[in-house]
Amino acid sequence: MKLGFSDMEEAFRRECASWFEDQMSGEFADIRGIANLVDKPERRKAWERRLAEHRYSCIGWPIAWGGRDATLNEQVIFAEEYARAGAPNRLNHMGVELLGPTLLALGSSEQKARFLPAIAEGTAIWCQGYSEPGAGSDLAAIRTRARRDDGEWVIEGQKIWTSLAQFADMIFVLARTEDGTSGREGLSFLLVDLDQPGIEIRPIRQINGEAEFNEVFFDGARCPVENMVGAEGEGWTVSTTLLSFERGISTLGQQMQFRNELDAVIAAARRNGKTADPVFRQRLAEAEIGLRLMRYGALRMLADGKGGALAGAALTYKIQWASWRRALGELAMDVLGQEGEIAPADAEGWPLLTNLYLYSRADTIYGGTNQIQRNLIAERGLGLPREPRGNA
Amino acid sequence: MDFRLPPESVELAEAVREYLAGTHGPDVLRRLDAGGNRDLRIWQGLVEMGLTGLLVPESEGGLGMTLLGGALIARECGRACLAEPLVDTALVAVPWLIARGETDDLAVIAAGEKLVALPHAVNPWVADGEGEELASVDPLRNLVAAPEDAGDDPLLLDLGALMSAAQLVGLAEAMLDQAVAYAQVREQFGHAIGGFQAIKHKLADVAVALEFVRPVLWRAAQAMDDGLTSAPLHVSHAKYAATDAAYLAAESAIQVHGAMGYTYEVDLHFWMKRAWALAGAWGDRNFHYHRIEDAALGGAHPLGPQHTFA
Repeated sequence: MKLGFSDMEEAFRRECASWFEDQMSGEFADIRGIANLVDKPERRKAWERRLAEHRYSCIGWPIAWGGRDATLNEQVIFAEEYARAGAPNRLNHMGVELLGPTLLALGSSEQKARFLPAIAEGTAIWCQGYSEPGAGSDLAAIRTRARRDDGEWVIEGQKIWTSLAQFADMIFVLARTEDGTSGREGLSFLLVDLDQPGIEIRPIRQINGEAEFNEVFFDGARCPVENMVGAEGEGWTVSTTLLSFERGISTLGQQMQFRNELDAVIAAARRNGKTADPVFRQRLAEAEIGLRLMRYGALRMLADGKGGALAGAALTYKIQWASWRRALGELAMDVLGQEGEIAPADAEGWPLLTNLYLYSRADTIYGGTNQIQRNLIAERGLGLPREPRGNA
Repeated sequence: MDFRLPPESVELAEAVREYLAGTHGPDVLRRLDAGGNRDLRIWQGLVEMGLTGLLVPESEGGLGMTLLGGALIARECGRACLAEPLVDTALVAVPWLIARGETDDLAVIAAGEKLVALPHAVNPWVADGEGEELASVDPLRNLVAAPEDAGDDPLLLDLGALMSAAQLVGLAEAMLDQAVAYAQVREQFGHAIGGFQAIKHKLADVAVALEFVRPVLWRAAQAMDDGLTSAPLHVSHAKYAATDAAYLAAESAIQVHGAMGYTYEVDLHFWMKRAWALAGAWGDRNFHYHRIEDAALGGAHPLGPQHTFA
């Protein structure tokens, strides 16, 4: 074990910090510190392209595909400095962090050549077509169908909770390609262009008033047969490979955001005198302990992982951070007290801590609810018997 | 000792529950949210039920009920997520005016022709008052900035906190009902999700919390009716416990609804935001926590078994 960073790594940190600061205080100052995922999409697309110009769009990818072949430590540093500078959440998170690594691992050489460059260049934004109205926690209950027709897949069905679909160019879709199958059998993983007549996107309004996620309807939407990743009927395996990246390296930058949020809660407590109150001192200290615990835990898990995916022991990470952040949202509201009820009427959105309280309600739901996470930990991690299930 | 609720108050509360269930459903909340926030027809219905005169003496045209009876109705207002300022006028301002001997307006209030929005130093706003408008997280709540010379009358604070606690209990009960109903129809893995222990235990925890918060609320109302010197302690306990129960109910109900619970399309968020707003009203959680701490440790209230029910 060796903690801390080398001189070269520290030099890379300075390089990142200085470049982000230039961008965020200069040309991209208007999107600095945006807390949500939906404001100023055109500017955020421009930001994706700017990252690409500097070869900062996908530093963990191989050099041949537009990345920097960055080490784990370098990716950690990059994620930290990105968040520290207040750069906005990545509009192409799904493309860069999820689909890219999946294609690198499982895609054909033709698929890599066709899809990776546009992600690296920031010109193709991707979204994720997994959940359906009847397939949420029970993801394998997918009913969206795809059938072959004249060298193409023709897709019928509906996806839901598709984040940022309204800004995306492409969607990766888990669809049932084999009649008479159920559960994990008979699914395939397809790459589909969103800009076609057979697709309709309807935003869903969230409790905070924003519309980050969408319903996506497929009514005869098409993609070429060669847009299938992995073998026909093997879509479940591809999708779980992708999910391992979702809970991987990309979470480290999130921790820097958590740091910023905890700092904001502490600043609010200083402002209104709650830091003099032992009850709040203890709760704030507990939040600090929780953050450090997550940080060391994640770094340790990543050290055992491969290619930016968390190792098996990392089953525990999602429930840990989501529960921590939800508790932080509640602490923020207790710190604000009566002030917490006041929300601004303007279009700039709600204040950071108000949004934190609301957004953290969703953290324990998306990407696998806390209940599903506990089942995974107990069944896969501890080897306990599976919960009784129905026909699925 | 007799910890039963007066039957006539319970009967009236049940009638109000039935009336609001029939006339003030989620469709009404959505209509109000779409524009206006307030609807004179809803107010008129409440007046016709006699609710504006609940605590007004019979000699002034009211029903002359106790604060305990009033708290039972405030709970129903919470359950229905009622937006009209009935609680503030009829259940907070009226008893305060009576206690001060200011009885001139009572008949007009009972007739539903006058709203009273009282500022208090503990609140940075006045609900349904006049002045500079503030936006609440609750889309159906109308706030204005509090005047700088707002008083800090302790009785007013206790009345406001008691009736907020009662509404929080009703809100929590309504959120639990919605989550239970959803858990019975939403299916995953081939079963209604309410059949999974992860879900049913979560909802059972809310039921336990609510079962134990209700008596605290009734105790606080009775303490105020009896004019006990310990009444502020009981009120703080009620507000604190009701806030925690409402937070737990809101969090659990959203979780049980999954992603649906995070949408504006599902009704739940109206109740969740009202609970959020009332959690901070008339003394937030921390304020009341410290009043309990002071009472327990400060010597103002005698401890020991002979004082348990004092």
